[in-house]
Amino acid sequence: MIETKSTPIIQLQKVDKFFGEFQALKNVNLEVHKGQKVVVCGPSGSGKSTMIHCINRLEKHDNGRIVVAGIELNDSLKNIDAVRSEIGMVFQQFNLFPHLKVIDNLMLAPRLVRKVKKAEARKIAMTYLERVHIPEQAEKYPIQLSGGQQQRVAIARALCMNPEIMLFDEPTSALDPEMISEVLDVMVELAKEGMTMICVTHEMGFARSVADLMVFMDEGEIVESAVPDDFFANPKSERTKLFLSQILSH
Amino acid sequence: MYVVVGWLDEFLWGALVVLQIFMVGMTMAVIWGLLGAAAKLSKIPVFSVLASVYTTVFRAVPELLVLLIFYFGSAITLTAIAKLINPDIQFVDIPPFWAGSFAISLIIGAYAAETFRGAFQGVDPGQIKAARSLGMSATHTFFYVRLPQMWRLALPGFGNHMLSMMKDTALISVIGVEEILYTAEIATSITMQPFTMYMVVAIIYLVFTTVIMAIIQVLEKTANRHLESV
Amino acid sequence: MEFDFALIVESVPKMATGIGITLQLLVLATIIGTALAVCTVLMRISKIPLLSWPAMVYIYIFRGTPMLVQIFLIYYGLSQFQAVRDSFFWIALRDPFWCAIIAFSVNVGAYTAEILRGGIQGVDEGQLRAATALGLSKSQRFIHITTPIAIRLALPAFGNETVSLLKSTALASTITMFDITGVARTIMAQTFAPYEIFISAAIVYLFIAWFIQIGVALAERRFSRHMQR
Repeated sequence: MIETKSTPIIQLQKVDKFFGEFQALKNVNLEVHKGQKVVVCGPSGSGKSTMIHCINRLEKHDNGRIVVAGIELNDSLKNIDAVRSEIGMVFQQFNLFPHLKVIDNLMLAPRLVRKVKKAEARKIAMTYLERVHIPEQAEKYPIQLSGGQQQRVAIARALCMNPEIMLFDEPTSALDPEMISEVLDVMVELAKEGMTMICVTHEMGFARSVADLMVFMDEGEIVESAVPDDFFANPKSERTKLFLSQILSH
Repeated sequence: MYVVVGWLDEFLWGALVVLQIFMVGMTMAVIWGLLGAAAKLSKIPVFSVLASVYTTVFRAVPELLVLLIFYFGSAITLTAIAKLINPDIQFVDIPPFWAGSFAISLIIGAYAAETFRGAFQGVDPGQIKAARSLGMSATHTFFYVRLPQMWRLALPGFGNHMLSMMKDTALISVIGVEEILYTAEIATSITMQPFTMYMVVAIIYLVFTTVIMAIIQVLEKTANRHLESV
Repeated sequence: MEFDFALIVESVPKMATGIGITLQLLVLATIIGTALAVCTVLMRISKIPLLSWPAMVYIYIFRGTPMLVQIFLIYYGLSQFQAVRDSFFWIALRDPFWCAIIAFSVNVGAYTAEILRGGIQGVDEGQLRAATALGLSKSQRFIHITTPIAIRLALPAFGNETVSLLKSTALASTITMFDITGVARTIMAQTFAPYEIFISAAIVYLFIAWFIQIGVALAERRFSRHMQR
């Protein structure tokens, strides 16, 4: 599936990131092509979240190059907001705006950033709420929804900006077990529609069914990256083997 | 109690003065509070240090003393300046109403600065990340995401500041503003019924503070509307 | 007009007697007021309305009126009644010092009661359940679990309340007491140098407030030994 000829839509070259003394990313190299689905896994503190936060510059990397859709992310970049509006992001803690109703959560960014008219924004919002199967919750406040519903709203909110790329930062880690599948189902649907996706997750069933590329990170480094079949059947690194045995053993 | 009736007019006017001081003082206090909070959060050391000195000093020195410094201080400064222009002038002062409101607003402003700063920092950083990840600018993020959530966090503290402001208005009688405590003093000197007169003052204040508390409750309810599960 | 530093140096020692009075007011009112607050909060959290209601009314009235008005009511107001003047209490009630102590104490009682209630409510339900499961009685739970945790939770607010009382003691100067502010106002009337005199007084208050905060910080550290790694 990997198209090697076209230029990648996301490109990380020798990226380092420090938090004070602590090095969160060490020489990270990654290429993601349009339509590709990448699943990133690894123990907590391994730099997975930091890496995807760097891709829309919620964190600034210290060394190396990050190029997204042909635009290099660095300090001379004038309009980072324009780049961010092309990248949707879904957070572990949902981060819905608690003071806004579900529908207003969805309409806010299209109206402010894309300058879409109110009626039009509402239409877009309802379309995506239907896509995540909860149009009936439009007039509720986030707190009145279950965790699974909130996360689906968060996905719809990102989709309302019609992004090129979607980043998922452990989208099911804060959910009760019975709600995980409703979120994963939405993500699988999205993958089938051809969205470019980077997902940080430990849901290995999801990874097997949608991933084009598996990436394993540990201590800030990409230890191993391979297509899922190879990755699960014969992991090369000892660290990957250990991690997989821990995560798949129960 | 009949004796109060004769003084009702004066008490009502005094009560109006109290409300005026409260409104003027509260408006100024919000301004000092916002400026103070912005300075405290500033990355420029001069601003944050100045703001810390301001909030530390004005929260540790007695309100009465601050009032006296501002009233007599401004009077002596103005008089000195006036004497330069016209040596015959004996005494000039800022009207006690304004000197008093200003002094009290600075005190409440020092507390408000802490409240506003806490509310600013109290908004979940994830909220800001989410807004920025959607491509919203820093300005949009502030006005549409941070500010509406700050308001809820600042309300309980701000309510207390309103109550303090209301009660501090009583101090202004010390520098001769003709509000209700002043009225009570005059009325006492004629009627010889200090308990009755001061009781009237206490009741008027209790009515004011009760109304403020009720308003705060309504505001908190509206602000927390979205946090109530079905 | 000029700023006279020498006057500051001169006037601070003159305030020494005032500092004594201020500290007496502060310490006495804190002790009496805290005792009052403990009784009040026990009544306030009681499920018996006959106990909780009076406590609520007491807190409401004293938190809802300016302390200056309360002081005037006690010092000037009570003398209106012949019965008060004839009573045994008149010895205290005609003395501005004791009137101030009464006014400050009842205020501290009302405010601190609310602070303590906040502390008690802040105690984690789970810890109380654990204690119940271990077979501790209701009063044992209150003494051994609720009280120490509540004190720790209430300490920062208690520190603020004490600084706030320090500031309130300045009001005693309005009923002829010569506390720090009272002395400053007297010197000010003689010299008419408001900046120098009042700023000296302000500095003295700043120092006392600073000591209070150090004291509270030490107490906090003591009460949170279990949190230190």
